[in-house]
Order: sequence, then C-alpha cells, then structure tokens
Amino acid sequence: MSTPIVEFKNFGFKYKSQSAPTLHDINLTIFKGEKVLILGPSGSGKSTLANCINGLNPFSYDGVITGSCKVAGMETKDASIFALSKVVGTVLQDSDAQFVGLSVGEDIAFALENQSMPRKEMLPKVEWAASVVGMSDFLMHVPYELSGGQKQKVALAGVLHGDVDLLIFDEPLAALDPRMGMTAVELIDRIHKEQNKTVVIVEHRLEDVLHRSVDRIVLMNEGRIVYDGVPDELLASDLLTRYGIREPLYIKAMKYAGCKLTPDQNLSDIQGMDLSPFEDKLKQQQLVKLEKYVPRVGEEILKVQNVTFAYGKDPVLKNISFSVRKGEKVAFVGKNGAGKSTMAKLICGIIRPREGQVLINGTDYMKYSIKEIGEKIGYVMQNPNQMLVKDIIKDEVELAMLLRGKSREEIDEAVKKALKMCGLYPMRNWPVTAVSYGQKKRVTIASILVLQPDIIILDEPTAGQDYRHYTEIMEFLDELNREYGITIIFITHDMHLAIQYTDRAIVFSEGELVADDSVFRVLSNDEVIKRANLKQTSLYTLATRLGLDPEAYIEHFINYERMVRAHGQPAAD
Amino acid sequence: MDNRLLINLIPGDTFLHKLTGKTKVRTFLILLVYIIMSFDLRLILPLFILSIIGLVSVKPNWKVIRYFIIIIGAMNVLNIVLFWLADPAIGSMWCGGTTTVLFRVTERLYLSAETLWYLCVRFIKMMTSFMVSLVFILSITPSELAAGLYSIKVPYKICTIFSLAFRYIPDIGRDFQNIKVSLQTRGVELDPRKTSLGKRLKQNILILVPLITSSFDRVGNISNAMDLRGYGRGKTRTYYSEHEELKADKVFKVLQIILILFCVYWIITQNIMAETLNMWYPFS
Repeated sequence: MSTPIVEFKNFGFKYKSQSAPTLHDINLTIFKGEKVLILGPSGSGKSTLANCINGLNPFSYDGVITGSCKVAGMETKDASIFALSKVVGTVLQDSDAQFVGLSVGEDIAFALENQSMPRKEMLPKVEWAASVVGMSDFLMHVPYELSGGQKQKVALAGVLHGDVDLLIFDEPLAALDPRMGMTAVELIDRIHKEQNKTVVIVEHRLEDVLHRSVDRIVLMNEGRIVYDGVPDELLASDLLTRYGIREPLYIKAMKYAGCKLTPDQNLSDIQGMDLSPFEDKLKQQQLVKLEKYVPRVGEEILKVQNVTFAYGKDPVLKNISFSVRKGEKVAFVGKNGAGKSTMAKLICGIIRPREGQVLINGTDYMKYSIKEIGEKIGYVMQNPNQMLVKDIIKDEVELAMLLRGKSREEIDEAVKKALKMCGLYPMRNWPVTAVSYGQKKRVTIASILVLQPDIIILDEPTAGQDYRHYTEIMEFLDELNREYGITIIFITHDMHLAIQYTDRAIVFSEGELVADDSVFRVLSNDEVIKRANLKQTSLYTLATRLGLDPEAYIEHFINYERMVRAHGQPAAD
Repeated sequence: MDNRLLINLIPGDTFLHKLTGKTKVRTFLILLVYIIMSFDLRLILPLFILSIIGLVSVKPNWKVIRYFIIIIGAMNVLNIVLFWLADPAIGSMWCGGTTTVLFRVTERLYLSAETLWYLCVRFIKMMTSFMVSLVFILSITPSELAAGLYSIKVPYKICTIFSLAFRYIPDIGRDFQNIKVSLQTRGVELDPRKTSLGKRLKQNILILVPLITSSFDRVGNISNAMDLRGYGRGKTRTYYSEHEELKADKVFKVLQIILILFCVYWIITQNIMAETLNMWYPFS
C-alpha cells in the first residue's frame, strides 16, 4: 500500500468542445493494491477523471490538461493511450459495444492480437483470463448468445493480461439486473484480492458497490473532490444527500429512526455491524403510526387473459393473466429475457397473442390496429435517442397527431397541453439536440402524452441516470399519475424504483408470471426473489437482524418514505 | 453452432472449415484466376465437380442455399440465352471457324453446334465461379477472412472492417426493429395493406434518423474500446482465429504452388501468345 500508482497533482481538465473546465484542483493519490470507489452524480466529472487515467482524455477526447497526472510513473500527457493501456485496463459501461470480437475467445484475445503476440503464447493467456472470470466454457460462443453480465465478464477478461496493474470499471452496474450486479461486485472483489490488482470503480450506486467492502471512497461534485476517505465516515455524514447520491436503504432507515451514526460503527457492512446501540430506536420507529397508503384506483382498463406468445416454437410468454386498473402504478420486473419487454410489446399490439385475450376497456384489442392501440397505450423506449426523429421539440411532440391527420387547432392545443404537463413549454422551439438526456426523456414522454393515452409504458425510465435526475423523472411521473390519473407501467430491474414509486409488482421469470403482488410482499418472498434474479434489499437484512417481520418492516419504511416525500421529515425528538 | 443464413461466426468442423484463413483466401483467389483464364472444359469441369463435392462436404443449410443456387442458375441460363440472341455466330469465332447448323429459327437466328458448345462451357464456367465462391463463403468465418486478407498483405485496418461489420450488423438490425416499434405505436403505419409503397418508403426514412444517431454513439464506444486495448498501436498484428497450419494446410500450399505455376504457363501460352481466339472443341 505504499507505492502510488496514480497521482493527480493540482490537476485540471478542460474538453476542447467546452468552455469551462470539467475538472478542477484534483489532488488524489491511489496506491498499489487499493480498491477505490469514485462516487458522484452525473456531470460531476467522475467518468472524466477515470478517462484521464486510462488516456481516453486527452488522446481520444481532445482537451487541455493543467497540473500533473502520473500513472505508474508516466506523466499521462506525455504518454499515449497505448502506453497507458499496458498498465491500465478499462471495462466500459456499454458491455455490448466493447465486445469487438466475434467470439468470446477472440474478444479476450483482442489486446494480445494488437501486441502481435504469436497465437501459441496467446492461447494459454486467453484460457487463463477466461477461467479467472468463470467463462472457460464459453470461449466459442458468439456475443449474441451472452447476457449483459457475461459480456461484462468477457470485457474484464480482455483487460486482465499480465502487465495490467490497475483496473478501471466505468459504471459496471448500469446495464445489469440486481442479481447480476451483485455477482459483478463479487467478481471485482475476488479479482482485486486474488490477482492483487488496484481497482477503481466509477459508480453512483453506492449501496450495490458496498455489497463488498472498498478501501476508500472519493466523492466528486461539479468537477471537484468533495470527500476522500473511508466509507464509514461518509455514510455517517450528510454528504450523500447533499450531493444527490442515494444513501443505502438501511442507512436511510437508521437515519429516519433518529439513530446517531458515527464513523467507528462499521456502517458499510450491514451484516457485520453492531446493531445493539440502535435496536431500541429502530424498533420504536416501527411503532410510529402512519397513515395507511391506499392507491386511488378506478375501473379495470387493461385485462390480459391466459396469454401465450412465441416467436418460433418455444413460448416466450406462457399463460399470463393479470389486470390493471385506472390510475395504478405497476412495475414489470424480472431478469433480462424473462419476458417483460415482450409483454409490453404485446400490450401495445406490436405482437399479438397466440392464445388468450387482451382487453382494453373491456374490448378485445384484436380489432384495433397498432396505431389505434397507440392512442390508448403509449410506449416510451429506454433510449430517447432511439425515439427522437425531429429537430425541434414541438415538431417531435406533434408528430403523432400529424400522422393521425388532426386539424391544426386540435394539434396545437394537444401539443401545448402535453408540453406544459412535461414542463417543456418554454423550450418548445429548442432543438432536440440542445437539451440534456433527462429532458430528452421528457420530450419522448410528451410525444406520447400528446395522444392522451390512458396508460403509458416506460421501459427502464431511469437507466443511466444519477439519483437526482432519477428522482426528478420519477417525481414527474408520479405527478402525471396523481394529477392526471394516468396509469403507468414501468419495466424495470431497479428494485429501489419499484419500492418507492409503484404500488404493485408483476414479476416475470422464464416467460411465466411468478408473482403479482404489492412490492414489499414480493421483496420479502425468497422464492420469488430467487426465480426472478432479484436481490434482497438491505431493509430485509436489517429487519431480519432485528428480529422483525421483513414484510411489515419494508411496508412501514415505504409508507414513512411516502410521508417524508409528501410533507418533509418530522423534526427528530 | 450458429449457422445464421450463410455466414458462420464460429468455424465448423468439416475438412474445409478446419483450414486456416490464409489457406482459404489464397486458394480462393488462385481458383478465381484459374476459372477466368480459360474457356477450356477440360480445366473447368474437374473444378466444377470438385466444388460440388466441396459444397456437400461443408454440410450447408440446404434450405437457404437452395434458393441461391436456383436464382443464380436461372440468371445464368437467361444470360446465355441473351448471348445467343445477340450473336448466334459467337461459337464459330471460338471453335475454329466452322459452322454446323443444328436448326434455324430465322435467317439470322440459328443454333450451331459450335455456339451450343460455347454457351454450355460458358454456363459451366459461370456456375463454377459461383460454386467456388459459395464454398469459400460457407467455409470461412469473418475473422478468418480478416486474417487471410492480412496474410496477403492487405493492411489490417482494412481487414478489421470485415470482422467488425459482421459483428455489429445484427445489433443495428435490432436497433432498427426497436425504432420501428416505437414509431408504429406513435402512428406510423407500415402495414402494406393500409399504406402505399411511396408513403411507406418515406416513413422508413423517418426510422433512419434515430438509427443513425444511435449508431454514431455506438461507433464512439467501439472505437474507445478498441483504443483502450491497444488497437492501432503496432504495424503488425496477429490473429487469435488463425490457428497453426495443419497437415492439410501444408498439402494445400503445395497444390497452390503447382496451380500458380500452371496458371502462369497457361496464361502465357494460351492467352498472351495465342494468335486467335480459341477454345478446346472436341468435335471439329
């Protein structure tokens, strides 16, 4: 722990395309063998910082460096991306795009090929790297056969060669379902320990990363380091909420209960920390009487009856039945490939059931065209860039109305209303490219709302967003639901989202509906959690350790949280 | 394992599949020269038969390639019919000047034995080049193609284009599907029964906008991923997919040399030094 591997001194970085620097006054030393988490909201500069270590800045993204950054003794601005790639291995966020080989083996070998290593020397190295990440049996597999988690393992194996001392993981959890994310964190930890690599993780999902211990957390905000120290001290402080990072749920629960948290309490380890000083307070908190939350729901507007669907021979959806009432907020959860996206497509009429029926407001939807269903059920894709086709926000929003040949007046009125609902009215004449990712998301939602659908389906509405933007979007959707009674269906594998913002979860696994119940009940059912690749929340662990009923505990927490969101936290006594 | 249509991404396990990319690419190029250089059935027919054996040996997905063979066969038949219509005397030019008329349609349009011979040879020649290409495509993976091209001194950055294109085309296809779906729900009608072709084409262009933007994002990510693993660092590179030469590769190497020498001999004596157009015609 004594030799530094990365040393930033009065470091700053400004992208050529931007007028102000993205990083200021960075002083940071990372020592050999350390495991460091770089935490921060999006736009805080955490990815920029990581890219300054691996050489993407300034060699791929042009920019100006001030001060000094030394990686393994090399001054980065005088080195090259290639020289740095010998010491620094980077696993990028997009596990699909970085898979450049046509098979697993080829992708792992890519760096070695580029070094002109003879194939004879390459083979044992590829086999070794594959075995380290547990992909030995997949060497001959093509990328299309792999899950996101497996692709990420391959990406890791691809940078794991001999000389690489430092591994950087850029948002490794962003594209993974909860269980896969947990496995990824465990794998990173194992590699850190067994291979003696220095590890830098860039993430904003603190709780998930803390599933395995880290040595140090560097918190960034607006291009500056605002905290650099051990996790426990950070958890005890109020810095996380101040800088828009989601606190681990159990920490939040403890803070709600008015527990005094101090850095010496081993706070980052929920399994190992001593709960006895907090037990009374936490149990007392359970006795706080809360208004029982009853969602306001109306009549049944969507009914799915014994639906089966298959693309080829094997059914992707097997005998699914459920119904949704007006004004409900429902989450479709389950691992990738479980059938939740297929279900959404089926509801939108893009694919139609082989067997069974879908009823919209009591009418079998087989007689409606996709276009007609689109007026009742809107579908918002995960990536707004895949939805936006026009240059100007207003044009984008009115597209669906234009395509239906409505009159100018009708269009203008509907567009105005949709833009206002989404808080975009002042920006209506802006180019779509000029707004942020979150605002683009709003534009896509507005372009669906313009048809005044009863239901909107959102595919991973918060993917790739930090907690602040996440909260913003979810509060906005909550408002749409509350104020306008729009029924919302989320497709998600973010269980926090499901807990906080939905009333009901419909859980899919292998094409079957395995649970349809309130979120807290789903999350306290071990069987369901296992089948759907979900993860136990830390609230469950906390409740079990306290000897409380997890279901009641999670429900109480959700209701308390709801109250806090609506009225603010009551003053601690 | 992954026989999607024609292109294999994972090498199969038949004799031809197991050759190195280098052997496949070189053999293919030499055979192309061999086919092009002559109109001699004694040279072409053996290769035609060999290519059929080759095709059977790579155990292709007959369902798919059946259509290819039928379509290409039909095109070639059409081609020689047009050849005959354009110049019924073409065979006599090649076969030493004699004209043995078999039957006459009009004064100008007749079929002679020489022309029939010429057209048949031409048909077999074109089918042979198609079959050889088909066997080549079926037996090689994009990575081997890249490695094979690299072995004949094509710069590796060009070789990479081949393997990368095959890697990402399916992804782009999937993006296209997603975008189409979202536009359909917003009211873009792509049902051929309900909208005209012109309108559908116009609306398909609408899909291209987001497709291009999202592809650009992807290109950025891919190039970063490649940079970070040292792509473009050296002047040379090796290929994981290019295994060591086996016995069969060495045998092929010898055959290639013999074939090259033969081609050089043939081109010099029969093409460059020849005084008139001629082809082997056994009935003269």
